[in-house]
Amino acid sequence: MPRRKDIKKVLMIGSGPIVIGQACEFDYSGSQACKALREEGYFTILINSNPATIMTDPGMADVTYIEPLTIEMVTKVIAKERPDAILPTLGGQTGLNLAFFLMKQGVLRKYGVESIGASVSAISCAEDRNLFKKAMQEIGVNTPRSGIATSIEAGMKMGLSIGFPLILRPAYTLGGSGGSIAYNREELEKFLAKGLETSPVHQVLVEQSVLGWKEIEFEVMRDCCDNVIMITSMENVDPMGVHTGDSIVVAPAQTLTAQEYNNFVNLSKRIIRRIGITAGGANIQFGQNPRNGDIVIIEVNPRLSRSSALASKATGFPIARVATKLAVGYTLPEVMNQITGKTTSFFEPTVDYCVFKICRFTFEKFPHAQRALNTSMKAVGEVMSIGRNFKEAFQKGIRSMEISRFGFGCDGKDKLSDEDLKKADKGLLQLIRDKIRLPNDERIFYIRYAFKAGISTDEICALSDIDRWFVDNMKELVEIEEEIMKYRNNKIDEEIKLPLELMKVAKLNGFSDHQLAFILNSREARVRETRKKQNVKAVYKLVDTCAGEVAAKQPYYYSTYETADESRQSRNKKVVILGGGPNRIGQGIEFDYCCCHAAYALKEEGVDSIMVNCNPETVSTDYDTSDRLYFEPLTFEDIMNIIELEKPMGVIVQFGGQTPLNLAVSLRKAGVNILGTSAESIDIAEDRKRFKHMLHKLGLLQPENGTAFNFDEAKDVAKKIGYPVLVRPSYVLGGRAMEIAYDDEALEKFIKEAAEVSGEHPVLIDKFLEDAIEVDVDLIGDAETFVIGGVLEHIEYAGVHSGDAAMSLPTYTLSQGILQKIRQATYEMAKELSLVGLMNIQYAVKDEKVYVLEVNPRASRTIPFVSKVIGIPLAELATKVLLGKKLKDLGFTKEIIPDCVAIKESVFPFNRFPGVDVILGPEMKSTGEVMGIDKDFGRAYIKSQLAAGQKLPRKGNVFISVRDRDKRQVIFIAKKLADLGFNIYASTGTADALNKSGIKVKVLPKIAEGRPNILDLMKDGRIQLVINTPSGRIPRQDEVKIRSHVILYNIPYTTSISAAQATVSGIEALLKKDLEVKSLQAYHKKRKK
Amino acid sequence: MKAILMLEDGKSFTGESETLQKERVGEVIMNTAVVGYQEMMTDPANVDKILVLTYPLIGNYGCAAKFNESDKVWLAGLVIKESSRIFSNWQAKESLGSFVKRNSLPFMHSVDTRTLAVHLRQKGSMMGVISTETFDRKELLSKIAALGKEKSSALIDKVSTQKVVHSGRSAGKRVAVLDLGVTRSIMRQMESLGYSLKLLPHSTSGEEILKLKTKGLIISSGPEDVSGLEKVAGNIRPLIGKLPILGIASGNLALAMALGGRINKLKIGHRGVNYPIQSPSSFKGEITAQNHAYILNHDSLLEIKGLKISSYNLNDRTVEGIESKALKIIGVQYMPISPGFHETNEVFIKFMKMLGRD
Ligand SMILES: Nc1ncnc2c1ncn2[C@@H]1O[C@H](COP(=O)(O)OP(=O)(O)O)[C@@H](O)[C@H]1O
Ligand SMILES: Nc1ncnc2c1ncn2[C@@H]1O[C@H](COP(=O)(O)OP(=O)(O)O)[C@@H](O)[C@H]1O
Ligand SMILES: [Mg+2]
Ligand SMILES: [Mg+2]
Repeated sequence: MPRRKDIKKVLMIGSGPIVIGQACEFDYSGSQACKALREEGYFTILINSNPATIMTDPGMADVTYIEPLTIEMVTKVIAKERPDAILPTLGGQTGLNLAFFLMKQGVLRKYGVESIGASVSAISCAEDRNLFKKAMQEIGVNTPRSGIATSIEAGMKMGLSIGFPLILRPAYTLGGSGGSIAYNREELEKFLAKGLETSPVHQVLVEQSVLGWKEIEFEVMRDCCDNVIMITSMENVDPMGVHTGDSIVVAPAQTLTAQEYNNFVNLSKRIIRRIGITAGGANIQFGQNPRNGDIVIIEVNPRLSRSSALASKATGFPIARVATKLAVGYTLPEVMNQITGKTTSFFEPTVDYCVFKICRFTFEKFPHAQRALNTSMKAVGEVMSIGRNFKEAFQKGIRSMEISRFGFGCDGKDKLSDEDLKKADKGLLQLIRDKIRLPNDERIFYIRYAFKAGISTDEICALSDIDRWFVDNMKELVEIEEEIMKYRNNKIDEEIKLPLELMKVAKLNGFSDHQLAFILNSREARVRETRKKQNVKAVYKLVDTCAGEVAAKQPYYYSTYETADESRQSRNKKVVILGGGPNRIGQGIEFDYCCCHAAYALKEEGVDSIMVNCNPETVSTDYDTSDRLYFEPLTFEDIMNIIELEKPMGVIVQFGGQTPLNLAVSLRKAGVNILGTSAESIDIAEDRKRFKHMLHKLGLLQPENGTAFNFDEAKDVAKKIGYPVLVRPSYVLGGRAMEIAYDDEALEKFIKEAAEVSGEHPVLIDKFLEDAIEVDVDLIGDAETFVIGGVLEHIEYAGVHSGDAAMSLPTYTLSQGILQKIRQATYEMAKELSLVGLMNIQYAVKDEKVYVLEVNPRASRTIPFVSKVIGIPLAELATKVLLGKKLKDLGFTKEIIPDCVAIKESVFPFNRFPGVDVILGPEMKSTGEVMGIDKDFGRAYIKSQLAAGQKLPRKGNVFISVRDRDKRQVIFIAKKLADLGFNIYASTGTADALNKSGIKVKVLPKIAEGRPNILDLMKDGRIQLVINTPSGRIPRQDEVKIRSHVILYNIPYTTSISAAQATVSGIEALLKKDLEVKSLQAYHKKRKK
Repeated sequence: MKAILMLEDGKSFTGESETLQKERVGEVIMNTAVVGYQEMMTDPANVDKILVLTYPLIGNYGCAAKFNESDKVWLAGLVIKESSRIFSNWQAKESLGSFVKRNSLPFMHSVDTRTLAVHLRQKGSMMGVISTETFDRKELLSKIAALGKEKSSALIDKVSTQKVVHSGRSAGKRVAVLDLGVTRSIMRQMESLGYSLKLLPHSTSGEEILKLKTKGLIISSGPEDVSGLEKVAGNIRPLIGKLPILGIASGNLALAMALGGRINKLKIGHRGVNYPIQSPSSFKGEITAQNHAYILNHDSLLEIKGLKISSYNLNDRTVEGIESKALKIIGVQYMPISPGFHETNEVFIKFMKMLGRD
């Protein structure tokens, strides 16, 4: 049926900041949807609080609102824009829930907005655990025995009648947040409380456990004429009990018979029909008993999901695009399949390769969190790899993860050596068994150790419940490794003796040159040389949705070691863009944003863009973002294979974050032309010594510093520059293992940790500047002209990682004099490094002095934010500069000082890691960011807080407890709050200070010393805001308790005085006048005039 | 053992084989389904074919008698990428390796099936030979040529039952099934609808069939052996209009020929489980399993009075279904497989209606 003419304006809701369970896959689906809508000529309205997204680029939608994703704000947008329809299924759980509550509260009815893609009944039927269960029973689909609890008492009763272990699953949540496994009474009670708290509708499913069953997923689509197709099946390698978002997953399912597959398809059709999805897709999760084939349904996501993004990338089928077309009235047969260019979308993709997904965790950031995986998602990112068999995909996947592993072990990074394992004692064997039995992020490596230690396949299967087929494939890899071992060199420089046949086998099964070098006691370069002589070279095959049945028009590529290469190079000029790999803390969507813009700019310039990336969640790995996409790991070997094939004019390493930057030097050595700032300059910026030397030459200040290889050296350095000092390893991103030491004792501890991360490199020790204001500067240059994109002032003092701090553009406290100094320093360094492209500099300002903290000779985290505020696509300009254009000709020669205020606030995963302290430090912890933009600082700040999920109060009770150093400043804040009508509660010490200056405060006893104490008040919802700054090195027990309750009960809080000040001015602004919404386009138009 | 697949056009692919004794010649066809290898091996329609599976990982869930579509393996050869050395599924009884050995099926693995598939797509399906003894190009090509003349027909005769076999309910509504190479799936679905089935040799004449006084006739799927199909068409021509007839795949070709329709061969057949069909009159379609290289000639169908085309293949617009109330016939070129859980396919339900309540 033709597209609907009765709707003209469509509203899309984005998914907000990147959090665990909701990453950039929704930028991918959202931007695909925007494109699809505009293709059809609909006026598209977008609201999303996340400035780092492609979808919020002005130009993606007709009007773009970067505003908090709250009912109030979305309602304001609706009232202002009056859309005819809302598309709720592409903004993840956030978008879906918002749309759902807008329906429930009659907002949509009031403004005559129709929900297309999923009706309110469909959404509730899938998300409401109760309705869902009933619906499934109706159509004869089994669910595990369960009951729905809306109170702890009820939950306990059900749980006890069902029996342990029990799975608790809150309704309307994402990434299994608030979900847990209860093995006994206490746990049940504890987790029920948590679950009810987490569910926006206070509903928890108490369910019989099917732990250890197979977890199978299906991606299904249905149109308004009841045409249904399966996009793909997916099999979780980690069995039931590990969240699908944390599981290792393969597509298609590998261990289902034809009959079983048909049965699942049949069920999936029944389910999507019963749920009532009439124009869109759904992700269906099943559990299957591996002993007798019994099937239970786990859940249905009636929307685009993480898994649908994976399914899209795995098969080449653009689910989001098609779902959007269906939502506006088309049927599947009417939507062309752009990959083949011949078939329609009414066609089930089929593959002739094996797809592997593995997750990236960041437990190292939260040492106090346990590494165990369960039903509550913990992964921050994922990678996808493609191979002609499981083993190849598996090893490619592991080396894609950026955990400096090069495959399934035998890469020199194994914790346990073959020798250790051969003579493994009871203790070690026990450890290995435990690591296999209890799901965790290192499990696969322990499976390898198990084989080496002589533990049988049967036992491994029994311990892990991982299907035997996968375990045996891993075993095969170990066998191949041992076969190769026989040809090991005695001396490292000997010729490689590995016979051709075995070399082929190794590469066909995904062994990297690095691994082979390690096993053979040789060098990676030597291995590469040898196999090229033997003519064992990577060839590229297609992702074409049809297993080669039709000649695809717009496919993408993966490498393998088969006989024929199918890639089609063009005669055009080409440039390779190296992507950022998996999302993780420190490197996220911001860098993918830059890579996509590079691709767009290259298109404009008539240069072929060749994207290399392995992150299935991203826009950069969308089939139509670049001219050619290689879905490959970002390692030297894999990249060189592509470069030798494509012979590009150059490679862009500036945009993918630290990943490609770290490869710059070795690529340069291999004769690759690095576009932009020279590898030489990059080295100067990255190498401490050379950097110090440069600053010295330019007469710029740097915090006093030194380097040390051990504690004694460190002590001397510390004595010389004086405490506190900042300790950090060399060559890390996101402030990995950075610590502030106030005395020798702390120093000793930190040196140990840092030395571990740092390896053979020295540990760096800087004078820590206390209460210094930190400033981030982003600039662009073409070696002649240098222009600052933005000067951003941090709200928290230096010491909070630049990736975690809230920032204001323009600056809000710095004097003209200081700004003058900063700008001058910036331009001098840019000239010195003859910057071509983008660069980021961090300064600390203390006592009217400007210190340089670091220079990043690449696009920074803040590029998308700055670009959107000043209305200039910096990454795009930078790309053109890399191609040799001049800023003069591009018409960007003068820094733009915005006439509005924009605040970038960070979002943290603390709720995922119970017990972890929320205090910020030099080690980055945030997963995502939001932006608040308005005419003044207060309003912009409060918007940023709302967007970050802090429901700042207009009235009520504030609890204040600050360290001595902050007591003076907190008085002003407390006074303000009191004047605004808040009641002040405080801990003894803080209360004294406030009383002295005549502020009315209620004193609360120390937690140990009587009740009701602060915790009780928080539990009872009688505290609306907490201001608590850490007392220093070793936080007091009370503090930690208080801060963890803040997370548990989701109470707004600040942990720094400066943030508290900002909060107060925010609340003040809020009370003066209600918040308003304004589109980016409006801000920019104003500026153009 | 090293093995080779030589195609009619001289292009060759190497691989491994443990079961291949003397070389085997056959038409090389490819199927894009991810699962169902055992079903394909035992489907009589694939008799004497060298089957290439585009999905690279085969044998993962093993083999078991219950997956058979007939009690024999009919292929001339099976060519795949990677043969799973173990099997993992609660229903499996043996590995793919032992299954093919037991059925002495010439089986070749470690072949770059992707490149092979793309080659077949470009050149069209063709004859080929697999061998482990000789790798000599001339010799192999001559073997192909030789066979080309020798046989390749009489395939239906090879797979069809020789005597009448009864199955399903002993009493109750009776339906005749003309066996051109019927699959268990077809029989099972009809049985589950409560019919008493008479499986007839492919050569059974029209009169004999009428004598049986069955409610209706199913012309089963089977090998696309044109001369054989023409004979069948001749036999059933007198039955048209006398009783409801359902033609399936090859059976549908015979049915159409009986009606005076013509057939054509595709450059490369429809072989897989993801083929979209749609009825000309609506937006509603269906994803079907198909295994045919021959199609009904569209224009020739238009000349047949009272016949309407009930479905087209969405990708290449070829005819997938015909229907006529007047002539009491239903014909489908695709395989009406069970949608799962032993439910029966729409096609049989429709045919049941045509057979009538009483
Ligand atoms: N009854 C159960 N027994 C064992 N594991 C379960 C059960 N129900 C769910 N799980 C596990 O919990 C995970 C998360 O549950 P799910 O409802 O999918 O959360 P989300 O909605 O966040 O995806 C599932 O992926 C599955 O591994
Ligand atoms: N000498 C210093 N004094 C105070 N804070 C510092 C100092 N050096 C670094 N920091 C803080 O540590 C954070 C991380 O340091 P940085 O060098 O930016 O690490 P990364 O390279 O991982 O971003 C900075 O954002 C800043 O807040
Ligand atoms: Mg789920
Ligand atoms: Mg869910």
